[in-house]
Amino acid sequence: MMDLDIVYSPRWFYGKDIMIDLISIFVLVLIAFFTLRYYRLNRKNRNYLLFASSFILMAVAFLFKIATNFTIYYEIPQTSQLGLLTLTYSVIKTSDLLFFAGYLMYRMLMLLGLYILYSIYHKQNRFNVFLIIYLILVSVYFSSSAYFMFHLTSLIILSIITYDYFKNYHKSMQVTGKWLAYSFVLIAASQLVFIFIKLHTLLYVIAELIQLAGYVLLLITFIKVLKDGKKKGKE
Amino acid sequence: MARKRERSDIVLDMLLSIQEKGNRIKPTHLMYKANLAYKQMKLYLEELVENDFVKKVKDNNYDYIIITDNGLKFIEKMKQMKEFERTFGL
Repeated sequence: MMDLDIVYSPRWFYGKDIMIDLISIFVLVLIAFFTLRYYRLNRKNRNYLLFASSFILMAVAFLFKIATNFTIYYEIPQTSQLGLLTLTYSVIKTSDLLFFAGYLMYRMLMLLGLYILYSIYHKQNRFNVFLIIYLILVSVYFSSSAYFMFHLTSLIILSIITYDYFKNYHKSMQVTGKWLAYSFVLIAASQLVFIFIKLHTLLYVIAELIQLAGYVLLLITFIKVLKDGKKKGKE
Repeated sequence: MARKRERSDIVLDMLLSIQEKGNRIKPTHLMYKANLAYKQMKLYLEELVENDFVKKVKDNNYDYIIITDNGLKFIEKMKQMKEFERTFGL
């Protein structure tokens, strides 16, 4: 039986998006690692634990995305160009299954990670948690037929988190707070572009590059936080 | 209204007070500088000694508390943690 998948990346970009996702994972894991260390210093503040869990879930989500893309790019034998889309013809049934399961896990873990991050700044009661998790699962289910649902949901959650970071910046007036907000503006913007990748393969490249810029700025912000922390004295 | 200091804040305040005084301070000075009651300070001080963050020494019949390398490292970690907390709004 022959199945059909649609790859939104141009051929010359194959593998480069994997590198970008690997960099994103590195940034997420690094920050999660330090957050867990800080949690050990102050176990009373459970926000550290939530923050680290959120970043770890997002990192694992990216791992699933990489595994899925790797399967598509390197295991499917034939591809051909049809208009603006690259069609890949698969004769390996397992590859399709991996594609479906991989993307499902990627989307579910990413949305859960983002929701945990959101819940740090907007305290949730038990019913809200159940409701949102249910809505995330619905969103993931529908995104298998309408991929943009996932990016739209991510964009909405990320926009609220970005707004929270700008609010926090106005309260603390710290440069790092501003940089953090801008890094999330970029990550949210990448989701906005991902919504339209069906229109042109170049949009996929642009979205990935914006995502890279967002995570690199997040890394720079984090390094500055560590440096500034060393300098500051008693307040 | 100022928020109540957490345990980690008190420990950091004590260590920073010692550091500001050139890594050596008299117990009474520490009590005032870290804004603690005598009993409170005694309890925290025992904990700091147990964790090898500070040492008690005698010099010219006076008791002094000196900060150790571990204490200095702890200050650095705590400062970074506070900065992280402020930036990320945790």
